[in-house]
Amino acid sequence: MSDFPRPFPARDRDTAPFWEAQDNHILQFQKCSQCAHIRYVVGPLCPECRSFDFGWIASSGRGTIYSFTVVRHQTHPAFEPPYTVLLVEMEEGPRVIAQLRAPEDADVGIGTRVHVEWEDHEQQSLPVFVPEA
Amino acid sequence: MTHRNKAAIAGIGQTEFSKDSGRSTLHMALEAILQALDDAGLAVEDVDAVVKMGANDDIFEIDLLRSLNLPNLRYFNEVPHGGGAACGTIAGATAAVVAGMADVVVTFRSLNERSERRFGESSVGGGLTHWRQYNLPHGLVTPAQWVAIFGQRYLHEFGYTTEELGHVSVLTRKHAATNPHAMMYERPITMDEHQNSRWISEPLRLLDCCLDTDGACAAIVVSAEKAKQLRSTPAYIAAAAQGTGSRAEMMTSYQRKSLAHLEESEATAKELYRVAELGPKDIDVIEIYDPFTPMVLMQLEAYGFAELGKSPALFHSGRLELDGDLPFNTHGGHLGEGYLHGFGHIVEGVRQIRGTAVNQPDGVNTCLVSSGVGVPTSGVILSKEPY
Repeated sequence: MSDFPRPFPARDRDTAPFWEAQDNHILQFQKCSQCAHIRYVVGPLCPECRSFDFGWIASSGRGTIYSFTVVRHQTHPAFEPPYTVLLVEMEEGPRVIAQLRAPEDADVGIGTRVHVEWEDHEQQSLPVFVPEA
Repeated sequence: MTHRNKAAIAGIGQTEFSKDSGRSTLHMALEAILQALDDAGLAVEDVDAVVKMGANDDIFEIDLLRSLNLPNLRYFNEVPHGGGAACGTIAGATAAVVAGMADVVVTFRSLNERSERRFGESSVGGGLTHWRQYNLPHGLVTPAQWVAIFGQRYLHEFGYTTEELGHVSVLTRKHAATNPHAMMYERPITMDEHQNSRWISEPLRLLDCCLDTDGACAAIVVSAEKAKQLRSTPAYIAAAAQGTGSRAEMMTSYQRKSLAHLEESEATAKELYRVAELGPKDIDVIEIYDPFTPMVLMQLEAYGFAELGKSPALFHSGRLELDGDLPFNTHGGHLGEGYLHGFGHIVEGVRQIRGTAVNQPDGVNTCLVSSGVGVPTSGVILSKEPY
């Protein structure tokens, strides 16, 4: 691993509960109290019905790879290639970005089912995805 | 009421494009602006408005205004969203001219993107806000990586291989190879070279990515009436438009229903064709913003030149060649001429309308120019004659 610190989120009044939950290894989304739309990324207003009222729901942690990239050229000192970043469509609907953790010869691609595991960093715990057995 | 053909680009200017300009972005911007004014036969005293691109710019408006020492300024504005703003400056200038708030509007872009600040590198630390906080902590830190997610999905949905990306790169470099102003002048590439270039962020290879460039471009917008009195051949603005899409982020709009659609470009296209009262079949030349090859394919579909998922066939047909019926990125684009955040495309569009480009097809009456992709974007349709 690189000594350079990994960039981490700055919590604000909208996003703090989301990131605090991740430190407790919970991936959660906002659910609109009015129209039940589950939304991500975090924001104060429902993009479907424009209600400010919402609650937090915990994700099942399971989803399907919707797209991905294998990064092979280093562009940031904290991230040494190669590594794979996934866009995972979660069972609840939102699509989440996180890295893949799998053996190098694993057969992983669009459509592969994955689940969340957690990695603790100094500033922020973050999800990674592991292929389902 | 629309702004159709009520304003025109009357002057263009540009510096050389290089890996190291040896001077400040302010210096280059001033060179390009003075050249564009001279091209139009206008003086600094004639300028009464400036509309500039906002993001990723180290030119402060106040430095520009002080340097030009503009005595008669009465309108100034700044357009956000990085490369998505390029044609947006033309839209803002057109709005000011048509509304009677300005007569002579300066627009420009100046970057030391190779020697000073490369957008493809990042050493950002903590404290990420906004859309960046959801992506950068996972190692998705640069535009190539953000766009690779879109590109991978596009290839998957329509069953294409990266050779379809290669065709974009090969044709663009072919056009750059005959443009002496291009960084890749006399340096065409083959499909083998594309397929054997090193991976950057799959499915993107080095030869799918735009160049890093130092340089500046400028364009002067005036009313159509004024343009007729000036010494240059006017490029009438048949339409200028901005557009965005659902759940918009900066190249990471991953929550929208389909990643195969470039919603921002679709919205811009719809408004351009509505205002211009033209359709894709009426366009003679296209200068398409080409940061990464998948974004070219997706834009050709968004702007109606091919159906969804069908744009690769355009590259097989020969239609996009200089002797085809829809010549594409005649200057060599970001992949071959230089990366000026879409402003090189505008300047080339004007040359195409004037008939003075180095790669000049015959009979060009209309040219569509697009700007930054996967971000709130913009476009213009230029016309040789008002209609």
